[in-house]
Amino acid sequence: MLTRQVSLSALIFIFFYLIQESVVTQFHLPAGGFSIFLIFTLVWAVLSTPEIGALSGFAAGFLMDLSQSSSGPFGQWTLIMVLVCYAISLLNYGNEKLRGNFIEIVFFIVVGVLATELCFLITGALLGVATGSIDQIILTLIGISIWTLVITPLSMSIFARLHGFVFNTRMHI
Amino acid sequence: MRYGGDNRSRLVVIILIVSALLFITLDLRGIAVIGGIRHGAQSVTSSFQRAGSFVITPFKNFFTDITHLGRTRNQLEQLRFENSTLRNRLINRKSADSQLAQLKSILNLAGTAGYKIISAKVISQGSSQSFSQTITIDVGSNSGIKRNQTVISDAGIAGVVKEVYSDSALVLLASDPAFRIGVRIAGSQQIGILSGQGNRRAILQLLDNQTDVAIGDVLLARGSAANRPFVPGVPVGLVTSVDNSPGAIAQSAGVTFYANFSALSVVAVVVGAPVTDPRDSLVPQKPQPTPIPTVTIYLTPTPTPTK
Repeated sequence: MLTRQVSLSALIFIFFYLIQESVVTQFHLPAGGFSIFLIFTLVWAVLSTPEIGALSGFAAGFLMDLSQSSSGPFGQWTLIMVLVCYAISLLNYGNEKLRGNFIEIVFFIVVGVLATELCFLITGALLGVATGSIDQIILTLIGISIWTLVITPLSMSIFARLHGFVFNTRMHI
Repeated sequence: MRYGGDNRSRLVVIILIVSALLFITLDLRGIAVIGGIRHGAQSVTSSFQRAGSFVITPFKNFFTDITHLGRTRNQLEQLRFENSTLRNRLINRKSADSQLAQLKSILNLAGTAGYKIISAKVISQGSSQSFSQTITIDVGSNSGIKRNQTVISDAGIAGVVKEVYSDSALVLLASDPAFRIGVRIAGSQQIGILSGQGNRRAILQLLDNQTDVAIGDVLLARGSAANRPFVPGVPVGLVTSVDNSPGAIAQSAGVTFYANFSALSVVAVVVGAPVTDPRDSLVPQKPQPTPIPTVTIYLTPTPTPTK
């Protein structure tokens, strides 16, 4: 059972990582665009237990660190994603009221994406990563948040179905 | 009921955080294993990016084309069959024309300066989630590309080769906040350092406090030792604002890059520098203003006022 869950999860994560790296990055979207992989990982974490959430964050962060566009040191994304995914799944776990609430989950994902980017900026500043001018950073943060707000409702049911398929659970989203 | 966390999950999280910190430490200490993992992953990803670029480009062009059509649904229905063939041709032609125009400009630029170049197609643009500005090109070490080589676009400098893989290379764009280039002002030959700001604008810091910079000054790459990472003479940008703060040690200025980083589809990697410095030969010509005809109307007052 565990082997099935791990192997299926790994395949799904790699699939969305490749979608992000080879398809989403082809489009020159305004205001920074979005990261379908980041949204997927956060949705996955919201639907999982804190332990699975942290492991998912680790796997996702590891893949994001492998990305050519990652500007920080290897491990920066891994650290951030472990913390954010653990936190987001810890906040949601056991909260059945939230699990059925579509709008609240979307809100959580947007806040999660924003928190992830802010964590990246803060740790980047500590590790000496250049991040550009303040106005550009603000524009990117606003742009990513708006894009996430648009993309999350469209894709969340697919992510939830995949999660349900892997973990044999049924989500009402 | 809220999850309070148990010892096992806490242990898992601690192990994962320690692992991540270990990765960061290893990477900052320059351990080769980490670089090898990234290198291997990019080699795999680049083939997917190439495929993605091949599949996505017609769709991108199609949607762009649709937005410019502006025709009614009925007309589209009538002409669908006839138009589909022509549209496909047009889309392909448009994409090819645009790339050809960029390539021609690059060849003109390289030919004037005597650069030996390898042209490349942009197969991916880095995600801005990391606040970095990068592109991936479809040539790599198999084509003779090496790290720290200058990358030019049709208008001027595009960036520098940051990483090289077998069939692709990662280019750090000049707009990246970490990008720094030594420049000189065409004509006055004053030197300074230009820093990317995450967009098409950049900041120029002059090295000498006795020099002056003016709006409209053209900046060219000063060149590096052994022509790496920068070959001399490449047009960089145009001074668009000057900061005349009285307390500043040296003068600074706002610069707009010549290259349009969001529309790069074809670039060239300079693999061989000219024997002699091209000096100011690559300074782009100023656009000629179109004369506006002036209409003069003479009014002569009538002797008697009209009722």
